[in-house]
Amino acid sequence: MTAARRVDGEGQKEAVRDPVIPAQEPGSGAQPPDQYIGHVSHLLLRSTVDGPGNRAVVFVQGCNFRCLYCHNPQTINHCNACGRCVEHCPNGALCLMGDYLAWDEERCTRCDACITACPYHSNPRVRHVSPQQLWGQIEPYTDYLSGVTVTGGEPTLQMGFLRAFLATVKDSSSLTTFIETNGCVSAEDTRQLLPVLDGAMVDLKAMDPQVHYRLTGWGNDQTKMTIRLLASERKLYEVRVVVAPGYSDNLENALATARFIAEIDPAIRLRFLRFRPHGTRGVVADWESPSDELLDRLVDAARAEGVVNVSRSM
Amino acid sequence: MKNRVAGAMLPFEDLEHGLTSETLDTFKDFVASVIRAPNLLADQQEAFLAGVAAKTLPYPSMSDRAREAILSDVLCLLAEGGAPFHFRYLAPDFKKLLEQGSEFLELKPAENLHEATAMLLTAYNYVPDHGLTPVCIGRIDDLLDPFLDTVSPSEARAVLRSFWLLVDRLYPNAFVHASLGPEETRTGRLMLELDRELETICNVALRYDPEITSRAFALDAVQTALQVTKPYFFNHRMMLDDWGPDYAIASCYNCMLTGGGIYTMARLNLKRLVALTDASIEDTLDTLIPEAAHLQMEVIDGRIRFLVEELNLFEKSFLVHEGLLSPDRFTAYAAVFGLAEAVNILMERAGRPEARYGHDAEANGLGVRIIERLAGELRAIPAPYCDGTAGHVSFHAQVGINPDIQVTPGVRVPPGEEPDLYEHLQAEAPHHRLLDGGVSTILEFDQTARENPEAVLDIVNGAIHNGIRTLSVGSVDSEFIRVSGYLVRRSDLEAARAERAMRYETVDFASVVFTNRPEALRRRTRQV
Repeated sequence: MTAARRVDGEGQKEAVRDPVIPAQEPGSGAQPPDQYIGHVSHLLLRSTVDGPGNRAVVFVQGCNFRCLYCHNPQTINHCNACGRCVEHCPNGALCLMGDYLAWDEERCTRCDACITACPYHSNPRVRHVSPQQLWGQIEPYTDYLSGVTVTGGEPTLQMGFLRAFLATVKDSSSLTTFIETNGCVSAEDTRQLLPVLDGAMVDLKAMDPQVHYRLTGWGNDQTKMTIRLLASERKLYEVRVVVAPGYSDNLENALATARFIAEIDPAIRLRFLRFRPHGTRGVVADWESPSDELLDRLVDAARAEGVVNVSRSM
Repeated sequence: MKNRVAGAMLPFEDLEHGLTSETLDTFKDFVASVIRAPNLLADQQEAFLAGVAAKTLPYPSMSDRAREAILSDVLCLLAEGGAPFHFRYLAPDFKKLLEQGSEFLELKPAENLHEATAMLLTAYNYVPDHGLTPVCIGRIDDLLDPFLDTVSPSEARAVLRSFWLLVDRLYPNAFVHASLGPEETRTGRLMLELDRELETICNVALRYDPEITSRAFALDAVQTALQVTKPYFFNHRMMLDDWGPDYAIASCYNCMLTGGGIYTMARLNLKRLVALTDASIEDTLDTLIPEAAHLQMEVIDGRIRFLVEELNLFEKSFLVHEGLLSPDRFTAYAAVFGLAEAVNILMERAGRPEARYGHDAEANGLGVRIIERLAGELRAIPAPYCDGTAGHVSFHAQVGINPDIQVTPGVRVPPGEEPDLYEHLQAEAPHHRLLDGGVSTILEFDQTARENPEAVLDIVNGAIHNGIRTLSVGSVDSEFIRVSGYLVRRSDLEAARAERAMRYETVDFASVVFTNRPEALRRRTRQV
């Protein structure tokens, strides 16, 4: 049995209340790594689309952004133990235990009825693991991997765990360590991550702060600063733009993004990702995926602004 | 006329007596059907008729039990017929040929790229093996790179292009196998480029060692494989351990010594062996397999002696006289297939029907015990004239042929039933070390892999590091399908179904394989 622990509030850093393990202060590097507990919603042992080479991908639970087109909205919030999913589970794999929810992995058939039923964009099947425990699940496959990528959710919201986990990967293997982030955390936090980080893919959802706010619920100042910081530290692997109809599917956004990047370093990789309705909820499920022609136009526009390495998803 | 490669015996074949007055009419009908076949070219008919004629003779003498094993399909001789008149696979030393020329072929040592390619194409025509087609055409980059600078770069490309085109047009057969690597050379890079451009079905192997092969060359090979399902990735270090530096690849993925060859192949159908009895796991390991190994070796022994002692093939061969083949570099294959079904049957008898090969640790372990036991038994029996492998046979995972309905090639997990990628590789890898004569695992990737060939190379490297000998990499949307060990193009399959005559006779085999075993087209696609 694993437990999805109740959390008050949403999207707050280190907001997890845990009866056994004391809450961690970010930045306290003196903590033994295994005292950090990560909240992991999913582990993929191979992927071609999350950085260079074949990578294991760790999806963490919890995100502060509220992107309209979120492809895995069940990773946004930490479970608040409302118990709604318990009624919907056809296998009796979920049980409300006071202020937390217990999940029986043996009984669970991964039918996703709980995720569909959750009114709170959360997931009762989150594993609470130490860096060593998580590494133990990836380690048997290191021969087949270039590295590990932590994504989410927003990995930097679990900064203590993230640092400890990436350090564990570095200490135990020659795998490279990447994160996929919305770039929301402070420069200080990002700097503390750098010694154990090889590369970051940063989402820049829209260049116009207003559009960015309408799309995500947050401004983009911090994201832009994070991109600059990572680039200056040679840890920026790629900037990504999801081409979202009505928000970021226009030439202006592509041109502005390209100018922003070219000014920092024209060699930075820029990638346009096609919005797909798969996994989304609400109104965006009716949005149409942008066409190949549109994506090609955006790529060409970005190249014309001087960015050398521009690509798009298939 | 769809059973030219038939491993099943032809209707008039008789192991003991050969053609008799009772079977004469059947024989004539069969010959008539060959000459009337609407989908065979004249030279294909001629080669076929030669094989049919050889099948009118009785088999070299054998015990009643060995004969029963063949008649009950436990042992199979893969259409070699009663009286084979050529070696099964040959790997002449083409390097030596280029250096010394050939008195018999009236060729002087090659001095430039034109002469070298013309010399090879000529020599291929005089290699009398499988289907009278050369199945091993050598390490093309190693052979031709020394001549590359004898002409201008653009001319070099044009000459290599003509060479590669002629290999296909003169020897249109998917069992023709070229090798590249492990070192990166300009010729190697050009050959990959030409292979993508010309899209022929000639098999290609990359002798791959991550320590020797450059990353750029390896990535080029991955990109090529995602387009045309070749080259195969061969674990160069494992091959060096088993065969030394001068090894050759022929036909599907068949390993042998350069300057040597394979006399014959007899294969054991493990599914049939187990299904014909009600043997338990321990009975199978302790009784059935040792007995089968002895019968298999008896049949191989008789056929080697027939070729060497009765037909004196070495004595009449100019390849031997000129030192391009050496009798002490020969061996024979004891082959095996249908492991998956044998394991599943035995697990069912042991009360664990849910434990399937490829998915269950105990079932996988049983598979390894069976192959280890068989390998041990086979190696304990001396094989005549098999100096190439220290006086015993080489052990080979046979890919199956068209009559093999519901039997999985070699030691593979059945297509469509493959577990997740890492488990799949780890289930099959333990067998690869044991099967020195050749074995392969097939992976098909989805389209996203083309955008990240590094990821596929990671998987190739992991597979090699974990003991895979030979790995086939392909893409699910490729025109090229790895049938078992050889390739077929989807468009050619369509033509074969329409009974059109075609250059590639191997298309016929593939067509029948997919008709008999449609599941062979349903391999698990890997999203990496």
